[in-house]
Amino acid sequence: MRPDEQVAGTATDPIAAEGQVPAAVRALIGVENVRRCDVTTRDIRRFAQAIGSADRVHFDEAYARTTRHGGIVAPPLFCQSLTYDEVTADLLPADGSPVELDVPLPARRTVGGSSDYTVHRLVRAGETITVTSTIRDVYARQGRSGRLWMVVVETRFDDAGGAPVACEVATYIKRA
Amino acid sequence: MDPRDLAAQHLPAAIPALVVVPDRMQLFMFSAATWNRHRIHYDKDEALAEGLPDVVVQRALLGDFLARMLTDWLGDAGDIRRLSWRVVGSALPDVALSCTGNVVALEQAQGVRLARCDLRLDTEAGDAIATGDAIVRLYPEEQRRA
Repeated sequence: MRPDEQVAGTATDPIAAEGQVPAAVRALIGVENVRRCDVTTRDIRRFAQAIGSADRVHFDEAYARTTRHGGIVAPPLFCQSLTYDEVTADLLPADGSPVELDVPLPARRTVGGSSDYTVHRLVRAGETITVTSTIRDVYARQGRSGRLWMVVVETRFDDAGGAPVACEVATYIKRA
Repeated sequence: MDPRDLAAQHLPAAIPALVVVPDRMQLFMFSAATWNRHRIHYDKDEALAEGLPDVVVQRALLGDFLARMLTDWLGDAGDIRRLSWRVVGSALPDVALSCTGNVVALEQAQGVRLARCDLRLDTEAGDAIATGDAIVRLYPEEQRRA
C-alpha cells in the first residue's frame, strides 16, 4: 500500500493496529438503516425450500387452513431473508459479504459468529415488513491466530402497524 | 418426549434429533433466498484463499436446522420464541450434521408455559459446529384445537 492510500481503519492505521476501534468505525455505531420489504407466498415457499423444510404449512394453503395458524405462515427464522439489502453487486466488498457489516477495519475476511433471534410471531404472505438495521457495537478480541474484530448488527423486523415481528442480534467476526 | 407430557421430573428431556446433510445446491439456494452474496458460501477458490477447507454452510442456515428440530418436535403443541446459537466450527457441504437438544427447564408465568432448551449441532464424526439454546412456548390442548 502506498502512503497516500493510508486512511483511517486500514491495516496501516496505527489506532486499528493496536486494537482500538477507529473513529470512522465508531461513527457508524447506532446509525439506523430502514427499508421496507413486501412478502409474497413465493418468497415463503422459496425460503422453506432453501432451509429444507417440507412442512406444508409454508406452501399449501388448504392444509395450512386446518392448522392453528389458519393459513400459510413463514418458517420461524424467515426474516433472515429480509436482513440483507438488495444493493447492486458493485457496492459490495470484494468478498461479496453484506454491506450491513462492511466497516472500515484492517480485516479482510468475515465469518458468521453468533445469532440471538427473537420470534414475536410468524410472518404471513402479503405483509409489508419494515427492516431496521443498526450496528450496535464493534470491538477487538485477541484470537489464537491474531486479532479478531467483532461487529454486532441488530436487525429489527416490524409489521405495518409498527408491532415487532422478529429481532436478530448477530455477531460477525472479521480478521486480517 | 411428547411436548404435551413434559413435566419437571422428566428434565432434562431429550428432543428428537434431526440429521441433515446440506449440499452445495442447498447452500446456493439459501444464499439466493437470503440475497447473501458472500463468496465463501459458493466460490471454493475464494473459500480456500481465506483459509477455509471448502465453501462453508451459512451461520443463518445452521440456525434454521436447529429451528426445524424444534418445530418437528413441537408440531402444533408450541412455538419458538427465541433461538440463540454460536458457530464454533466450519460446516462443509455433504457432511451430515446432527442437531440434538434437551429441555432443561420449564417455567410458567401469567398463564404462559415456556420450556428452555439446550441445543447442539455436531458432525457425525463428533466435531462441534454450533451450540445454542432456545425458549419455546407450549400451548395447552384447548388452544391448539382453536
